[in-house]
Amino acid sequence: MEAKVIAKSDIGAWMKGLADKCDVIAPVKDGDVSAFKKIEDFGTLSIDLPTPTVKGLREQFTPETETLFEYKLTGQQAELTSDTAAQKDRLIFGVRACDAAALKYTDAVNANCEPKDALYFAKRKQTTLVGVCCTTPAWSCFCTEIGDFLANPIMMDLYLTDIGDKYYAEALTPKGETLIGASQFQAATDADKQAAESAKQKVIAALPSPIDHAEKGKDFDWDDPMFTKLAEKCLACGACTFLCPTCHCFDIQECAQGSKGSRYRCWDTCQFEKFTLMGHGHNPRPSKNERTRQRVFHKFKYSPERYGILGCVGCGRCITACPVNIDIQRVVHKLEADK
Amino acid sequence: MENELRQKAKELLESGQVKQVIGYEDGSTAFKSTPCFASSPEDADRLVWNPTCVNNLAVYLPSAVKQGKVAVAVKPCDGRSVVELIKEHQINRDDVVTMVVPCPGVLNPDALADIDPKTIKNIEWKGDGISVTTDSGEISIPREKAFLDKCLSCTLTDPAVTNIKLGDSPERSPLKDKDAAIAEYEKMSVDERRVFWAKEFTKCIRCYACRQACPACYCKECFVDKNGQVWALKSTDPEANWFFHMTRAMHLAGRCIGCGECERSCPMGIPLTLIGRTLEKDVEEMFGSGAGQDPDALPILGSFDLTKDPDPCPE
Ligand code: SF4
Ligand code: SF4
Ligand code: SF4
Ligand code: SF4
Repeated sequence: MEAKVIAKSDIGAWMKGLADKCDVIAPVKDGDVSAFKKIEDFGTLSIDLPTPTVKGLREQFTPETETLFEYKLTGQQAELTSDTAAQKDRLIFGVRACDAAALKYTDAVNANCEPKDALYFAKRKQTTLVGVCCTTPAWSCFCTEIGDFLANPIMMDLYLTDIGDKYYAEALTPKGETLIGASQFQAATDADKQAAESAKQKVIAALPSPIDHAEKGKDFDWDDPMFTKLAEKCLACGACTFLCPTCHCFDIQECAQGSKGSRYRCWDTCQFEKFTLMGHGHNPRPSKNERTRQRVFHKFKYSPERYGILGCVGCGRCITACPVNIDIQRVVHKLEADK
Repeated sequence: MENELRQKAKELLESGQVKQVIGYEDGSTAFKSTPCFASSPEDADRLVWNPTCVNNLAVYLPSAVKQGKVAVAVKPCDGRSVVELIKEHQINRDDVVTMVVPCPGVLNPDALADIDPKTIKNIEWKGDGISVTTDSGEISIPREKAFLDKCLSCTLTDPAVTNIKLGDSPERSPLKDKDAAIAEYEKMSVDERRVFWAKEFTKCIRCYACRQACPACYCKECFVDKNGQVWALKSTDPEANWFFHMTRAMHLAGRCIGCGECERSCPMGIPLTLIGRTLEKDVEEMFGSGAGQDPDALPILGSFDLTKDPDPCPE
């Protein structure tokens, strides 16, 4: 598909132009952390593009708390309302290649049931994604071990690569082609193309080499003694899974206030003790041994078996967030060596 | 020091005095260590003691003692959590051997902001601060930049439950006032504080890392996890988040020892220690003593002294 260039100084004007038609969302600094927020003021545009942002795109498609329906009782009569009104189309700028790749996984999960997750897919359909290739990977990044999406991005519409004072902009979908039709984009030269290629190669060189984790995951040892070791130190919090771009589990809860109330879903995780607690009191994953194994096996063994893709994109968020330094990359390497 | 720690740990394990020793070992990078559970004399060789040993290991004690007597490496601050756990009858004094390590301060991750993390090979104490060995040489970071805020104001001596004292406690005067951070905070009016916390709590994703990392949050079932009788919403609405944090704060009043693990563990950067410290100051002012000092004392909010305590129902 077509590629063009855009001067960095034109990004603000370009986005402002888009904002007439859709919400423009980009990572901005909020105290110490960067978060994807709707941009209101394009004059003082202060996009912060860390590698990666603290939270990925999960909340954009499955908010931390999402109302499913509200009800109102009048005598014996119940009136249900659900907020299905279409939200505005939106464009998310500053998406990292790993976070976009994670959508391939969450799409597969959310489509693998009947009825399909309507709330998720409605948001997916209304979203245009503009990625930006990383230049300085974090110490915890290992995306290149998982796939080649840093060089060959997937699931996004437009991919920008930093080539000095401008971005090389590759349209990956018809939506992306429309985007680069804007007046701020200019024709790319061969030199621009080469600059983008070498920028990508430079960052890839700083990252680990590919490993066929899906193949190796087949032979993971269910009884690997490492899990007892991990369980000893794991605090059973949700830091790793709530920041993970592929984690998607939720809890359904209700909030009743007199004659009205709502049913909502909110994030939940296999690392919480009550996640698998059944109504009759049995818990099939009673200890942290089973729960630490579940996180790793789900991502590196069950997911390739079930959907044909890994449930990890190597973003490293769980590694930096874990208060006790449980490092999934190390854990997986050890499991692969142990088998 | 590290050798002394390993030696002691070995002795305790070899002689069967303890079932396991909880300490620190090298983490997955040179700027992080990770909790280590040594159950054999060989395991003890993995123990380390360096500026990256930030975790408060007391969090593991209530479950660890179920398998037998435990020795635990504690910094003077963490030792106060052990005091609280004994005071609150979560562990028996006889089930734990505290190995108090001499602590010049532990690593403030911000100190490494200008160093490429991938080049870091080693971090150790040197002079007043730390020395970071990188691929391109050694970098010295002075005390005021190297250590966590709590370390810069630390005046703690050996905790009341010290069993084994390793090395000599470094002699030094605090660089900062313990209440400098809350002095700023206290300048805010009640309404301003409300706005401040409302903004901070909006960030909360309810991962409960703060609670799980806290040695004082040992409840078998947290109020927020109740499923049948719902006490608190699991949603991340501002009000629900507010309710979670304020209830947790009240449950910790007079019990928080200020280790800062909640704030360190929070992935969203919420300044949680401000809550603990503010409450702790109130408790000190009202009751004349604080958390983590005397294992035989009665828990402040779990007891009432007619002669001393403030009248709960003033005119
Ligand atoms: S498992 Fe960890 S490294 Fe993998 S995608 Fe999730 S947060 Fe990122
Ligand atoms: S973040 Fe670390 S401590 Fe928390 S559940 Fe995940 S692995 Fe365990
Ligand atoms: S509330 Fe925070 S500072 Fe206080 S004891 Fe718990 S983890 Fe430590
Ligand atoms: S660790 Fe932070 S984000 Fe997680 S529940 Fe506590 S305050 Fe909220």
